Amino acid sequence: MNCSIEKNIIVENLNLYYGTKQALFNIDMEIPRNKVTALIGPSGCGKSTFLRSINRMNDLIPKCRIDGSITYCGENIYGQGMDVIDLRRKVGMVFQKPNPFPMSIFENVAYGLRCQGVKDKIELQKTVKKALVDAALYDEVKDRLKENALSLSGGQQQRLCIARAIALSPDVILMDEPTSALDPIATAKIEDLINELKKDYTIIIVTHNMQQALRISDFTAFFLMGELMEFDETSKIFSHPKHQKTEDYITGRFG
Amino acid sequence: MPDTLNYYQKNNSKKGLIIDRIAKNIFLSMAILSSSFIIIIAGIILVRGIIPFTTDNLGIGRVSLLRFLTGNTWLIGQTFASNLYSIGFIIASTLFITILSLLISFPVGVLTALFIAKVAPPSLAKILRTVVETLASIPSIVFGLFGAGVILKIVYDFSALIGYQSKGGNSILSVVIVLALMTIPTITTISEVAIRSVDQSIERGSLALGASKTQTNFKVVLSSAKSGIFTAAILGIGRSLGEATAVSLVAGGRRSGFSFDLLDTTSTLTTIMLEGLKETTGIDYDIRFSVGLVLMVVILLTNLLLNAVKRRVGVVNVKE
Amino acid sequence: MSKNKKRMIKDGILQGITYLSSTVSLITLLAIVLFVFGRGYKLLNFDLIVENFESQGYVADLFDDFIFCDCPATIDLSDDFYYSEKWGIALSDGTDLLGKNIIEIEYIHPDSPFKMVQDKGIGEEPIILRTDYDIIRIAFEDYPTALSRYGAKNMIDSLNANNSIREIEFRTKGGGVRGSILTTIYLIGMTLMIALPIGVGAAIYLNEYAPINRITKLMRSLIETLTGVPSIIYGLMGLAIFVPLTVNLTSATGGNLISGALTLAVILMPVIIRTTEESLKVVPDEYRQASLAVGANKTQTTFKVVLPSALPGILTATLLAIGRIIGESAALVFAIGTSIKDDVSLTGKSTTLAVHIWAMMTDEPANIELSATIAIIIIFIVVILNIIIKIISSRYLKQKMGASS
Repeated sequence: MNCSIEKNIIVENLNLYYGTKQALFNIDMEIPRNKVTALIGPSGCGKSTFLRSINRMNDLIPKCRIDGSITYCGENIYGQGMDVIDLRRKVGMVFQKPNPFPMSIFENVAYGLRCQGVKDKIELQKTVKKALVDAALYDEVKDRLKENALSLSGGQQQRLCIARAIALSPDVILMDEPTSALDPIATAKIEDLINELKKDYTIIIVTHNMQQALRISDFTAFFLMGELMEFDETSKIFSHPKHQKTEDYITGRFG
Repeated sequence: MPDTLNYYQKNNSKKGLIIDRIAKNIFLSMAILSSSFIIIIAGIILVRGIIPFTTDNLGIGRVSLLRFLTGNTWLIGQTFASNLYSIGFIIASTLFITILSLLISFPVGVLTALFIAKVAPPSLAKILRTVVETLASIPSIVFGLFGAGVILKIVYDFSALIGYQSKGGNSILSVVIVLALMTIPTITTISEVAIRSVDQSIERGSLALGASKTQTNFKVVLSSAKSGIFTAAILGIGRSLGEATAVSLVAGGRRSGFSFDLLDTTSTLTTIMLEGLKETTGIDYDIRFSVGLVLMVVILLTNLLLNAVKRRVGVVNVKE
Repeated sequence: MSKNKKRMIKDGILQGITYLSSTVSLITLLAIVLFVFGRGYKLLNFDLIVENFESQGYVADLFDDFIFCDCPATIDLSDDFYYSEKWGIALSDGTDLLGKNIIEIEYIHPDSPFKMVQDKGIGEEPIILRTDYDIIRIAFEDYPTALSRYGAKNMIDSLNANNSIREIEFRTKGGGVRGSILTTIYLIGMTLMIALPIGVGAAIYLNEYAPINRITKLMRSLIETLTGVPSIIYGLMGLAIFVPLTVNLTSATGGNLISGALTLAVILMPVIIRTTEESLKVVPDEYRQASLAVGANKTQTTFKVVLPSALPGILTATLLAIGRIIGESAALVFAIGTSIKDDVSLTGKSTTLAVHIWAMMTDEPANIELSATIAIIIIFIVVILNIIIKIISSRYLKQKMGASS
């Protein structure tokens, strides 16, 4: 796969249907590499659906149908011969509610690697440690790696989920409102982390929080009723939105 | 209760209040009666069960408690005028049989549950669920009959094949198979509920990490459901330990000697209780209560042990 | 790529073992059904349900004014049947459960003198001979008696050589389960009469009246503990408490239906309480408040509003209880006993279908055929009960969902 190109996710004419109901309409978008792209819009506008279509998590929903294409590293992820498992390894995901597995902290981070068939203990330890360090969690948990992950606080759990994703050294990390279940301090930590992570990863984040989008993202996409209304650099979107609807939304007039 | 209700109740006639009080007391006495049965059962078994150890049993002599618990010979008392009752070898074979049957029924039951809950296409899952439910509702005596009519023959032929003359197939192996078949539906039903209640977000988390569906099922789903699965195992063990009539049809009855030979006859705590049924007094009558007492203690201890293990394994409620 | 292949193989194996495990249950069920039907279908007919278990022997004589039949058989008779045109009767050789030779009546012509015989015992009642009876012997005047062990051919030849008989000894088929079915039905009725009021009453107390405190919690856990007690222990309790109690108070001499019903009632208590309580829990509080608000007192509210709404749950509890009673064996072995009887009385010693199986299987020689037949009956009833429970719960669920939406 040729991943050196500047825009590594190219969405072309994407339509998505749940049964007979269409949820996404003709999305065209080029997501830049090593930048944070925020997806904003009112509830039910399709931003989460769009996010999940990037790593094909929508496959799990029965009757979900997609046409158009998403090209990742030059390859259509909905094309024939696409290895979904491989795709999900390269495109990691962090969910709205922290969802650590009911196993030890170490095993949580090592999980993805083990599923890939990594058995070497030293390699596992090294990778887990690096992932925890990168997720800014290592110092807090280094003495209790064997403890159950569910004993962590909500914010720690969410950083663990981030560590779990980056342990697989993905290219892209999808985040579905990762801070909506967290308190302000934990949120701030995650936001700092995102700022650090964007050096190495392309991050796409769904958020309901305008301030958060403004704080952390480089690009912003505004979704409305399943359509992509506007996509541009965050500063432009927030200072000079092209659409009236965008302005109404970010100034809090609806949503 | 909201104040309004009290107001209306106060407004009720005096007669109504008296009726209410009487009704409440009747219901209360029924609840007390129902909850006292367990105490009555434990009490009566204890009182009768210690008679052989505390009296001289109409001249036969006191049964030694230590030898009762550790010895290896069971003699019918009044015929032999003996107080040589020992169930040490029976306790051992009972535990041995229970563990072996769990070794079969636990993995099979849990994997069946996983199959029904996660792997099978919906129509097949529905069929299998009905199969398991039907199997669970078949009374144990029918399993015993099936054991006597089919499994005994298979075990007998199998022993003959490896050059072993088994006593009509009556053996530890037959008991283990019958018990395993009986406990599989129990374990399946409870494990399936546990597996289905695993939070979907955890599964999605695993899939998003590039784990396959099968890896997710085996690594994440099963370990998330382990609390419920453990409960299933505990119930399965309870059922194996307590089963009497079905086991008695395939055990063969063993009166002496520790034996862990799979193809040799055996006795369990329950089958030995079913022997000497005709007695109405004397030591042969009382000693069954002693065995019952031991059975209850064994079940109690196993439950305590397993619950301790369950806590040690670090079972956490994943559903918050 | 090879890494992926390896993983796919591993996944395939793991998935395969879940398929394999599931087939165990399927095979077990199929094997049990095939076994009980294969061994039991021969004896399965309506007579079985109304017949006695003990076979009854009779000595009888022909009526004095009999006339010879001298008639050919009206139906095709199998080659191993022996038919006498003179007497209009066909016999065949068979073996009983102990493997002894017996002579079975296979066919009686409507005009045969053997159609109806005269009991030589008290009363001289006429008896209609039936085709499933066994003939033990036929004695003649001045001619060797034809015994069953000489075979059917000898008996037919002897008959043909004589013009009258002295007496005929025969016995009814037996092996019926009427007594055990009656006992089971009696037990179901009596047990429910005892257990339902107490169980439902206890559930009402726990759900409607009980304060939330440690005593209530203790009561609940004591009741819950009952479910973990093996049924043989209940049997011991019945043996130690209810049997002596009924022996002292009634004419019973040992285990009896009353002591059995009392023991079963205790076994069923936790099931009835739990199922009833679950259905009481889903009765919305608004119903209770509405009833109290129109001036009904709490007792009226409980009986007129709460209980009717919980009726499907109580019905389910009843059906579960019936299933348990039909299947219960270990407890009843102690609490009633194992004697198979045709006369059923409350203080008598007859036993249920499940114990009937156990008694026959522990006897020498084990009667697998009849046991399998009884097993068919038991499985049939249990499956029907299960289906009814499913229908009730799915209807109830629909109703509730309809009410909430």
